[in-house]
Amino acid sequence: MLNRRINYRVPRNLLVLFELIALLLLFIYHKGNLDRFTIISGLSLIFIIYISNFLLLRLSSGDNYIFLIVTMLISIGVIMIYRINPLLGMKQLIWLGIGIALFFITYFIVKRIEGWEKWINVYVILSILLFILTLLLGSRTRGSINWISIGRFSFQPSEIIKILMIFIISSYYTNYERYKKVKYGSYYLIGIMYLFIGFLFLQKDLGTVLIFYTVFLGLQFIYEENRRLVLYNILFFLVSGLIGYLVFPHVQIRFEAWIDPWKYIDNKGYQITQSLFAIASGGFFGTGIGLGHPDFIPEVHTDFIFSAICEEMGIFTGMAIIMLFMILVYRGFKIAINQGNKFFRIVALGISILFGIQSFIILGGVLNVIPLTGITIPFVSYGGSSILSSFIALGILQVASEDLDYGEEKYEQGN
Amino acid sequence: MNKEIKRIIVVLTAICILFISLVAYLSYFQIFKAESIKMNSYNKRLWINEERILRGSIIDRNGKILAYSEKAGEGYSRYYNYGNLYSHIIGYSYREYGKAGLELKYNNALLNINESTPLNELKNIVAPSTEGNTLKLTIDHHLQEYTRNQLKGRKGSIVTMNPKTGEIYSMVSLPDFNPSTLRENWRDIVEDVDSPFLNRATSGLYVPGSVFKVLTTVAAIETTDLDRNYECTGSTTIDGYTLKDYGGKGHGRLNLEEALVKSCNTYFADKGLAIGKDKLGEVADRFMINQEIPFDLPTKKSTFPYKEKMGKTDIAAASIGQGKVLVTPLNMAMIASAIGNKGEIVKPILVKEVISPQGKVIKINEVRVISKATSIFTANEVKNMMVESVKRGTSSKAAIKNIRVAGKTGTAQNPSGKDHAWFIGFAPADDPKIAIAVVLEEEGSTGGAAAAPLARNIIIEALNTIE
Repeated sequence: MLNRRINYRVPRNLLVLFELIALLLLFIYHKGNLDRFTIISGLSLIFIIYISNFLLLRLSSGDNYIFLIVTMLISIGVIMIYRINPLLGMKQLIWLGIGIALFFITYFIVKRIEGWEKWINVYVILSILLFILTLLLGSRTRGSINWISIGRFSFQPSEIIKILMIFIISSYYTNYERYKKVKYGSYYLIGIMYLFIGFLFLQKDLGTVLIFYTVFLGLQFIYEENRRLVLYNILFFLVSGLIGYLVFPHVQIRFEAWIDPWKYIDNKGYQITQSLFAIASGGFFGTGIGLGHPDFIPEVHTDFIFSAICEEMGIFTGMAIIMLFMILVYRGFKIAINQGNKFFRIVALGISILFGIQSFIILGGVLNVIPLTGITIPFVSYGGSSILSSFIALGILQVASEDLDYGEEKYEQGN
Repeated sequence: MNKEIKRIIVVLTAICILFISLVAYLSYFQIFKAESIKMNSYNKRLWINEERILRGSIIDRNGKILAYSEKAGEGYSRYYNYGNLYSHIIGYSYREYGKAGLELKYNNALLNINESTPLNELKNIVAPSTEGNTLKLTIDHHLQEYTRNQLKGRKGSIVTMNPKTGEIYSMVSLPDFNPSTLRENWRDIVEDVDSPFLNRATSGLYVPGSVFKVLTTVAAIETTDLDRNYECTGSTTIDGYTLKDYGGKGHGRLNLEEALVKSCNTYFADKGLAIGKDKLGEVADRFMINQEIPFDLPTKKSTFPYKEKMGKTDIAAASIGQGKVLVTPLNMAMIASAIGNKGEIVKPILVKEVISPQGKVIKINEVRVISKATSIFTANEVKNMMVESVKRGTSSKAAIKNIRVAGKTGTAQNPSGKDHAWFIGFAPADDPKIAIAVVLEEEGSTGGAAAAPLARNIIIEALNTIE
């Protein structure tokens, strides 16, 4: 018992220490207008995160590290966003509060209700409705149509569809034996996925295409018995990538800017070179919070938050973020391997791949290792839709980390 | 392990490899690429201070303003008061063309930027500086102007300095350019075959010719068992290669002093071979040849590749400053200074003081001996020989009434076919106030005829006007 307490308490307290030091630096930076507003925001950040970590330890018998990792990530993110723009930081803090609430709500709902693997058609219809809604009502930002505005709020339906997609794939492979018997049943899933990817192409949201595709390919690789389909899928990806490159001018621009950003430093390569300047300026230990110039990077609070973190908190913090994501993915896979219920096993894998690949695509993008696609870093970037959907996914992963007794017999069946 | 678990582990491994490669790349980026990326002129961080800080002025040793900045709309404009006169010393600072000269080297001082430590950064936030520091140069504006007028119409360089303190009084390199009209003339300057951007004083490498004999003389004195006598017939043959004296006339029987006074090539070629390339090279090294000269502007190394394989003809040629020897005018001025300064080489300085906006001196470049080039006795002996050279030898056109001037001329053959005309020297010989090096590039005349008179004029002007 004592041992267990030390295990979880120590990192939780370290997290508080990290937040306190970072906030102190933030206060020094905002010396001119140190108001109650800032202090309350800071304290509520520490409070929310500490309490929710504490609560979770009492509530859930499952994995206690994934939430801890995520709160570390989100602390770094919120502090950086607050430093760039206090108003956005405040909003992000509110999103964080809602996100954590949603995490617990999701946790209870998903845990209480049984039979998630039976409603594949509901997920498909809901996804298609959301896609159509996006195309009809969506507003265009930076070439892609992926936002729906309702009154003052706007959200990105594809963030929700990501989770629905994981549920679709999981339901499909949980009931794999049944689909196999139906004529063309083995093509059912691939058809739905390509339909989704087609919708995303129409929205020109290529970053999300990449995420959908990779999550699908990952799960297909593990569970598809018809190995030829996996091969076809990879070929299809290469062909559609080529078509995308030839058809969409903004894909070509991204690609050229990736090959040699310095040649297009004034235009196409502007964002990425500004990002590289920021990362290069920070050094291993960073300039210190408030002492760099991350404001030179366009979109710094969303896509390029990582560059800002590298500049002011140092490359070492950047590496820490990458390692945190790696541990998160590792824990997710460990959860999957230990989970007896096949549906939740696949869901855990899907969510882990989602977190992993999404963070890799954007981190690799801002480092110019791969072409840049405008997506958010889960939990770190600013953005309501992204935070909420990531917390919903985390809530589901939390359920999957527990012993779900009603799944025993299906485990036998599945194997 | 069943198939499912195996495949799960394959996928996990793939994702971990992706992440680890990111960490590896980030380390690689920081260690190998960050430095050059940071210095890219598109990096706005480099310019942010430029826009909010009044760049400091640059003044001469008497306080005359040579360059200053003034508010112009949002930012500041830079003004260069004397156009071409300081093109190679002050340089320029333009956002589109970058920086050169002292504007580059002392950028942080001019903008009052401290080293970027977290503490200093914090200081900047609490009390940001709005005004840069002033640079006080060692240059004497009047002498600088006079020196340039002497050189005008030619290619080449003149450096004058205080032999005891290393302070540069004037430094001219022609052709030059006008930093005030850089925007209009950039193309022309870049494409000019005479390379006006090249600071010949610090980075021009010239064949020294006979001025190098000063070093051979030092080496000869230091080689105690050397026979200093020689019978000059006007030419000598080394390894089948015939080396002639200027005009082809024999000087007859010579000792070391007479040889230097008359600048006898055959004498020095013969003695250079006897001294040997290693001894010659060692002396050259002490006089800062083959060495990095620490200076406020970028410098090129003078070269005498004695560590490489050299044939007899190469050594003989090097002894009279021909062949593989190349020197910068600044280095030659320092060599003249060393002879005048008891054999010690002091660090040349261009910026005397850095003065804060409040008028406080925050940095002084102090006198620093960087090389004990030779003994006081050797220096004294060579000095006397150089005085004789001016009195009755090849340097006679540098002679000044009532003042003992020490000097040595040089006429350097080079690939262009037209000789460089050289003169190095210092005055007054027994308590030198000024040392000088003059090189007239591809002048096609002798150092004695072309360079010595210029040096004489400048020495007179300097002795009359400085302090």
